[in-house]
Amino acid sequence: MAGDEGIEIQEEGDESVDVKNKAEVKTELENGGGEDENVLQFLDSLDGYLTLMDSVNSKLREGWFDLASARHSMGTLRVNSTLLDLKDHPAASTLQVTDQEDESLGSAPRFALSKWASKGGSGKGKDFSTDVNSEMGSPRSPHLRHRGVNEEKPSGMDETMLAADEEIKKERAKSLSVFGGLVSPKLRGAQLSFETALETLVEIANTRSLMLSAFKRITNK
Amino acid sequence: MYGFEALTFNIHGGYLEAIVRGHRAGLLTTADYNNLCQCENLDDIKMHLSATKYGSYLQNEPSPLHTTTIVEKCTLKLVDDYKHMLCQATEPMSTFLEYIRYGHMIDNVVLIVTGTLHERDVQELIEKCHPLGMFDSIATLAVAQNMRELYRLVLVDTPLAPYFSECLTSEDLDDMNIEIMRNTLYKAYLEDFYKFCQKLGGATSEIMSDLLAFEADRRAVNITINSIGTELTREDRKKLYSNFGLLYPYGHEELAICEDIDQVRGVMEKYPPYQAIFSKMSYGESQMLDKAFYEEEVRRLCLAFEQQILRSLILTMVVTNWVLQFHYAVFFAYMRLREQEIRNLMWISECVAQNQKSRIHDSVVYMF
Repeated sequence: MAGDEGIEIQEEGDESVDVKNKAEVKTELENGGGEDENVLQFLDSLDGYLTLMDSVNSKLREGWFDLASARHSMGTLRVNSTLLDLKDHPAASTLQVTDQEDESLGSAPRFALSKWASKGGSGKGKDFSTDVNSEMGSPRSPHLRHRGVNEEKPSGMDETMLAADEEIKKERAKSLSVFGGLVSPKLRGAQLSFETALETLVEIANTRSLMLSAFKRITNK
Repeated sequence: MYGFEALTFNIHGGYLEAIVRGHRAGLLTTADYNNLCQCENLDDIKMHLSATKYGSYLQNEPSPLHTTTIVEKCTLKLVDDYKHMLCQATEPMSTFLEYIRYGHMIDNVVLIVTGTLHERDVQELIEKCHPLGMFDSIATLAVAQNMRELYRLVLVDTPLAPYFSECLTSEDLDDMNIEIMRNTLYKAYLEDFYKFCQKLGGATSEIMSDLLAFEADRRAVNITINSIGTELTREDRKKLYSNFGLLYPYGHEELAICEDIDQVRGVMEKYPPYQAIFSKMSYGESQMLDKAFYEEEVRRLCLAFEQQILRSLILTMVVTNWVLQFHYAVFFAYMRLREQEIRNLMWISECVAQNQKSRIHDSVVYMF
């Protein structure tokens, strides 16, 4: 019957509308879910950024206080800016900046700190790189570095790490020697605080980079 | 003869002893420190100090103040007091007062030599020198390349010349050699000062021997702790300890082989006067050690003014009463108490400037 056919046609149309609507809703859901993920990523990185800022403020405060303690202990003549070395010398720490491509985040700069790089022209370059992002065990970094005692590591690796630690201690002592050969433990404590603050600053730079990428993705939608 | 200083001391020393006791009365009290600890900024500190003996030295300083400015100006007060006493003193008091500044001269020499090694401007270094340690040819220190030149060109004509006999080498000056030179000079200076006080005899010898022995022991502990984990060998470390003091010689033997703070504690706790100092600290901690030593030093310096004899086994109470005055240790005690006061002011200023007022009491040493 014509009316039935009409009804039937109408019913077929309804079905195709339904299917079409379902597909659109599905796409919308997927897109909405992707946007939520980006927003969550942004908020996560913002939270990490604020935590790191708090941490670096705390470390710097500690470092300045330890420096004042060292000045109180050793005397103002032994800890002051006139003793700092003006001779040409290579930097104790360097920063490398690379562009890293990521599927979810796109291109973003990555910062890596090389602490206590070897000084002088001995040709023995020892680079104690600390890529702080990999140290944090970021899920986005494919190369995780495991620090600390690992029972599965061969003893040769332990010896290498011990030797590296000794070298770092020597480099630290060398940096402090501008204030004299025998310095107070408080001055060494200040040095460690500032060193940690420097690492945290690099982490902040990396986190900020992630945050800006996530924000860019949100605003581009 | 011990106990009869009263008969002759006032002829030459009476006026200056009265002066120094007057200065002692001007030292900051606990009430002053409590007011200073409540300051919000360095201008508040300046305002509170304007009511003290430091007022005239700080009043013309413009805002914003810096902690180094407060220390410099307060040090000028100490220098003025010292110079007034020195110009009024006769022998042997004048030599005694000169000895008090040799430690600052050693610090200035090391500052100039270290700064020159780091290619700093000599004028900038001289401005940072302690005023009590200045001498005429100090700027010439910058031309020396090794200790032999240092001695030959400059220091041979200074009071530090006799202390160089153990330092004279042709090795170039580097950071560790300079540190060894500093400590070797200071060791020789302390031993010389000790011998001079022994020669003076009487109450001066008795009280100053105790104060200088404490100084030698404290330096031994500081050298030990600061050299842990460094390239300084045990033999070199032992050479830096003075040849007198409660720890000499057996304590020095044990300190020379210490590798951490707990071993140092183990050595020091065998000596009753130092047991009390280390009992204030927990194991593995060295943060409060400086304060503990300063507190003990201040206690002994205040006793020098009260003139209680610390080794009372050989003296009766009558003799003790007669030696209430009439010795030179009060001058040494005053200078050290003033230096401690300046250290306190520096600490309070730093805590206020860094907004760490809760940590002020970590290092302030109260005197009265």
